[in-house]
Amino acid sequence: MDVTIKIAGLFRKFTNRQEFVKVTGNSPMECLHELETRFPKIRRWLYDKRGNLRPQVWFFVNGQKISADDMNKPLKDGDELFFIVAVSGG
Amino acid sequence: MLSQRELARYERQILIPEWTKVGQEKLKKAKVLVAGVGGLGSAILTYLAVAGVGRIKIIDGDKVELSNLNRQVLHTDRDIGRDKVDSAKEKLELLNPDIKVEAIKEIITENNVFDLVGDYPIVDALDNLPTRLLLNRVAVKRILPLFHGAVYGFEGRATTIIPGKTSCLSCLYKGVLPGKIPVVGVTPAVIGCIQATEVIKYFLSIGELLTDRLLIYDGLSMRFSEVKLKKDPKCSECR
Repeated sequence: MDVTIKIAGLFRKFTNRQEFVKVTGNSPMECLHELETRFPKIRRWLYDKRGNLRPQVWFFVNGQKISADDMNKPLKDGDELFFIVAVSGG
Repeated sequence: MLSQRELARYERQILIPEWTKVGQEKLKKAKVLVAGVGGLGSAILTYLAVAGVGRIKIIDGDKVELSNLNRQVLHTDRDIGRDKVDSAKEKLELLNPDIKVEAIKEIITENNVFDLVGDYPIVDALDNLPTRLLLNRVAVKRILPLFHGAVYGFEGRATTIIPGKTSCLSCLYKGVLPGKIPVVGVTPAVIGCIQATEVIKYFLSIGELLTDRLLIYDGLSMRFSEVKLKKDPKCSECR
């Protein structure tokens, strides 16, 4: 499936300032793997030391929040994947 | 009943068709708790005070430090070393002597959070997740609205939680970035103003609240975007 990943501002330094990256993948996880293969420096923000997705990264498909259980669910052509990291400054 | 002085003070906002004198009277009778008198709190409190929210309770256990002053605009150089709540109360009463400000110098803990909140609608202007989640617990248990905002560098987020109807903070947060948080003052100013707008709309029962929506502000590309939130069926607080 052709999927667009929207890159949040905090992560654009890892994608050469690109806001949208086109990837191919059948699930959010597969799309993420392609993104991190192309932009490996983004990995440390996404995974903990054990290689698990960090719970403080929030994923959205077509603007709707998805849970960790949804990361391997199928995507459709034209879907948009977006992720941000939880912050708590005040 | 609004005094002549209040009618003059609020003249321009009373002109807003959805607002009117009736709305202004609602605001005068309203009460709100703002937890945190930092960057977000400075913006939120300033605009709730000048809008005429009648009773504002502020809670913060910290003292003003020099490193706060790039963003916490209710405090000045002369306030360094003072309790933040005292510094803020003084400025807010100067901005609007027609409102009541209750200053509570306390660190919010699991033991005191229910007493501190009481039955006040809650504005989350804190800088740490554990205390935000304590406020969320009270909001969910007592069915009080919770107006949330958070910032990092040039980025900020805001959402409005109405327990029983929307997802809660605990549905969303499973941790945050560790370490010292970089912030430029304009970011909490933007997000704090959004939170204050939500509070005003809530009290006036006008417009559309940021419920089950997370507004994301990216100051570097100067874009606002929005995503939809939903309840976590496994949420420990609101399921």
